[in-house]
Amino acid sequence: MEYFAHLALSAGIFIILSVSLNLINGQCGQFSLGHAGFWAVGAYSSAFYGVYYPLPVPDFINLFIGCGIGFVTAAVAGIMIGVPCLRLRGDYLAIATLGFSEIIRILIINLDVVGGPRGFTNIPKWSNLGWVYLWVAITIVFCANLVRGTHGRAIISIREDEIAAESMGIFTFKYKSLAFIIGAGFAGIAGALFAHSQQFLHPNGFTFIWSVIILLMVILGGLGSISGSIIGAIILTLLPELLRLMGETIANWRMVIYSLLLISLMLLKPGGIMGKREFNLPFLKEPR
Amino acid sequence: MILQTKDLTMRFGGLVAVNKMNINLDKTDLVGVIGPNGAGKTTIFNMITGIYKPTEGDVHLNGQSILGKYPAEITQSGIARTFQNIRLFKNLSVLDNIRIASHSHTHYGLFSNILKTKRYREEEERIKSEAIDLLKIFKLEDSAYKLSKNLPYGEQRRLEIARALATKPKVLLLDEPAAGMNPNETKELSSLIKWVRDHFKIAILLIEHDMKLVMDVCERIYVVDYGELISHGGPSEVQNDPKVIEAYLGQEAT
Repeated sequence: MEYFAHLALSAGIFIILSVSLNLINGQCGQFSLGHAGFWAVGAYSSAFYGVYYPLPVPDFINLFIGCGIGFVTAAVAGIMIGVPCLRLRGDYLAIATLGFSEIIRILIINLDVVGGPRGFTNIPKWSNLGWVYLWVAITIVFCANLVRGTHGRAIISIREDEIAAESMGIFTFKYKSLAFIIGAGFAGIAGALFAHSQQFLHPNGFTFIWSVIILLMVILGGLGSISGSIIGAIILTLLPELLRLMGETIANWRMVIYSLLLISLMLLKPGGIMGKREFNLPFLKEPR
Repeated sequence: MILQTKDLTMRFGGLVAVNKMNINLDKTDLVGVIGPNGAGKTTIFNMITGIYKPTEGDVHLNGQSILGKYPAEITQSGIARTFQNIRLFKNLSVLDNIRIASHSHTHYGLFSNILKTKRYREEEERIKSEAIDLLKIFKLEDSAYKLSKNLPYGEQRRLEIARALATKPKVLLLDEPAAGMNPNETKELSSLIKWVRDHFKIAILLIEHDMKLVMDVCERIYVVDYGELISHGGPSEVQNDPKVIEAYLGQEAT
């Protein structure tokens, strides 16, 4: 039972991560490969607060403070990487953000107050499945409402055509930064929730392969679709585990099967499962 | 004088793309810029809209210099443009294309957006109905929810003009609005351009290769060749200017 609770929890955290990365990569069209870095910043700063300076208030208030700290520190990291790098385009931005997330990881390894290479232990257990899914809901509502307003449309117009967006009176740099800050901030919240549910953090848990996996979730679900990112996060969290449960032979070959499934899915549906479409409940649709 | 360029010059390395260009536009002028391919017409547009920074010279809008401003700032201060190769937001609906253009006239903060406050709902309703009104003018209201890439070519051209108008400009720059249109569509377009000028009371500067459209629509014409202004005047004046004939047809054999 605990195993399934753990799976559900990581699925929730990956939903927050993929939906927030979708805002940067899918909706704003800026190719960022640094999401694990923002995730780590949020996780470690919130854990630092929890271990050294927790306020004498009930746990759930402390969790909210931790999430707030995670959001702010990751958003600041987002500004730090964003302001110098958002003038880069495409692959170059990907390399810059990738380097940035590695810098963060190396920094953490060399910071003894947060355990360095030994890992950060004794983090107070403030979070659980319920709180994680509350934040999942907040993230989804936030991002879904954002793209239905003028700020979100400005962000999307940058993906569609940056020169045209600028010519329509949109300060593209401002809105690229906004997408970066919000995306990084929610990754920070995911980090805070992760830290306070696992109670243990290790720098190797934030290598760049995780940035790639989060990106994979977004692309698999459909770059630019929030519902796609959610589906992608759920599939990629559960699929390896499901294969593990399907008998010994499959379990042994599960990473091969997993890769083959990804390849065939991308061949059959290059735009991702949802494409750019959204799954909308009737009462959520925009009236015509 | 609403728009004025003063000795506008653009050099790319040793190449002088535009040399000492002086273009004046009055409040409701309808003026054309013509010239052979590569004469520097689009470069003039790119300098006025801030995409290129001119090497020399100045651009004045309403008597104030707009030199060195960001393209977005220039659009917000009242110059809108269309592009030679259509640059719509292809994967967005026709309505969204217009709503994005009214971004700088939409007034609510990020938090009223996220929390869907009353202000957000009112403003969204206002810009949506304004967008629909604009689409009606351009006979596009039936396609409001279609993706703009799925529109026929002529309608995409019209949508681009509508989108530029949604920024509420004082000056509209049209870069080859009739490119790729058939004679019928071009005819419709010329009456549309005139109508837009009269209805919105704005100045229009257009680049065009279709001489019929230019001669039919424009009150004044600037002729550019190799970055130099070679002629300027009313349609009939320009048509009979030997320099213009030379630029287009070459010199007479002697």
